[in-house]
Amino acid sequence: MIPGRLLAAVFLAGLLLAAGMQNRYDSNLDYFADRGTFVSLPSGKALKVLSFGYSNLAADLLFIWSIQFYSTTYLTNRFDFLERVYDTITDITPQYKEPYIIGSLIMVYEARDIPMALRLLDKGSRLNPDEWFFDHDAGYYCYKFLKDFAKAEFYYNRAAAKPDAPPFIKRLNAHMVYLGDDPTMAYQMWLEIFNNARDTLEKDGAFNHLYQIKAENDLALLKERIGIFRRQFRRWPATLNELLSLRLLAALPTDFAGNEYIYNPEQGTITAERVFKWKQR
Amino acid sequence: MKMKIKAIAVNTFKESARNKMFYLLVFFGIFFALSSKLISFLTLGDAMKVLKDTGLAAINFFCIVIAIFTGINLIYKEIEKKTVFNILSKPVSRDQFIIGKFLGLALTMLTALAAMAVIFFLLVLASGGGFDLKIILYFFMLFLELLVIVAISLFFSSFTTPILSFIFTVSLYLIGHIMWTFNEFKMILRDPFWKYLTQGLYYLLPNLDKFNIKNEVVLNTALNPWTILFSVLYALAYILALLAVTILIFRKRDFQ
Repeated sequence: MIPGRLLAAVFLAGLLLAAGMQNRYDSNLDYFADRGTFVSLPSGKALKVLSFGYSNLAADLLFIWSIQFYSTTYLTNRFDFLERVYDTITDITPQYKEPYIIGSLIMVYEARDIPMALRLLDKGSRLNPDEWFFDHDAGYYCYKFLKDFAKAEFYYNRAAAKPDAPPFIKRLNAHMVYLGDDPTMAYQMWLEIFNNARDTLEKDGAFNHLYQIKAENDLALLKERIGIFRRQFRRWPATLNELLSLRLLAALPTDFAGNEYIYNPEQGTITAERVFKWKQR
Repeated sequence: MKMKIKAIAVNTFKESARNKMFYLLVFFGIFFALSSKLISFLTLGDAMKVLKDTGLAAINFFCIVIAIFTGINLIYKEIEKKTVFNILSKPVSRDQFIIGKFLGLALTMLTALAAMAVIFFLLVLASGGGFDLKIILYFFMLFLELLVIVAISLFFSSFTTPILSFIFTVSLYLIGHIMWTFNEFKMILRDPFWKYLTQGLYYLLPNLDKFNIKNEVVLNTALNPWTILFSVLYALAYILALLAVTILIFRKRDFQ
């Protein structure tokens, strides 16, 4: 019979040896250096089959893993299969909204790949046709990072057409049209928002935009006509009515609030009462 | 006749409920359902979605395990321990025996499911989820799936050993959740024989994904009442067919 003390000694020695080996093994291994980490990730369709009715759970686990993985900032190659990972998650459960939003955030702010984020958000919008926020986010990324106002306008326009789109989407859309150098269209859009505003905040916002666009157009016209006058008479007009009497203007424009523009006859400058620098391109 | 079936059903329920494995699996089901709260902390965005997903998946999984393990053993054990002779020597027909066994197992599953469901509801309420009627519907659909599984395991248990019953039932369970791939598979087949065989299997094998409404419950999407109704009818038809064939096989079995 083996003595108990010997067994205890063997047990402790074995445990120590195993711990030592484990330590040695780990110290020689860089778990995240392997670029093939993702190679074993099956496609969304395959994973749907392999999950045998637990596709939601599979999507959850993959999503939670992706959050932890993409937060591990020291992994330099972590974005290699970023699109594939989020494509897989959204293939398994196309109605799961968070992966589109979080995935596109990672693509934009971490991987700095806006077209990739737009592809993911496009997929979200296509598979969830009633949700507005995929197009809203896509519009924002186009506006903020690509400075592609026409594309931003396209997304905001699509978002605004969705059933539960909040009113601010229409406002963003109108602003994109304005930034995209179509002030006439932008004016019409803001006018519609102004006329159908449901609260003072919305009405005041629309008013400011209408004021800005109208002032911009009117001031450009007035400056041009004052310039013509100056070239003809080698002086600034004493009042704006002089432009009317010479038929350089059909009528004197007023700002959106109905007030006259402020004319300085000594310098020939013309300004509006309220100009909003924050709306300038 | 009803009294005899009831007596067998009650006995089956008591027998299953006395099994320590039953309690262990119910405990694990509850434990993992509660653990979903921890998993939900790891996500970004809708934590309630993850809580419901993982909790319902845990309950689903352990209920299926209970259904398979209790189902595959029941008849075999009766034959192995020769208790079936005692029962069948009394004025109890083989048909009543099978129906009683099935109902007893159904009662066992209902008890296990109810215990897990109550705990899960409390967890959702404690996490600020509110009362969701769709979850009740989910448990109802899961119960239907369990009844089909029980009927399948009882069917295999009536003519083969527990190990083979286990393999066959688990295989059917897994296949039952990927029946939608049969239609796609059929499209790529060219040989008419394989095409018809695939189609035949599609109609013959149980489509358990019909009872899977996790997506609709968790993502709060619309549920089509007709789909639910057809799923209920499908379950009833499939269970009746399985019980009928089980009775036919059991009638022909020689216990000597």
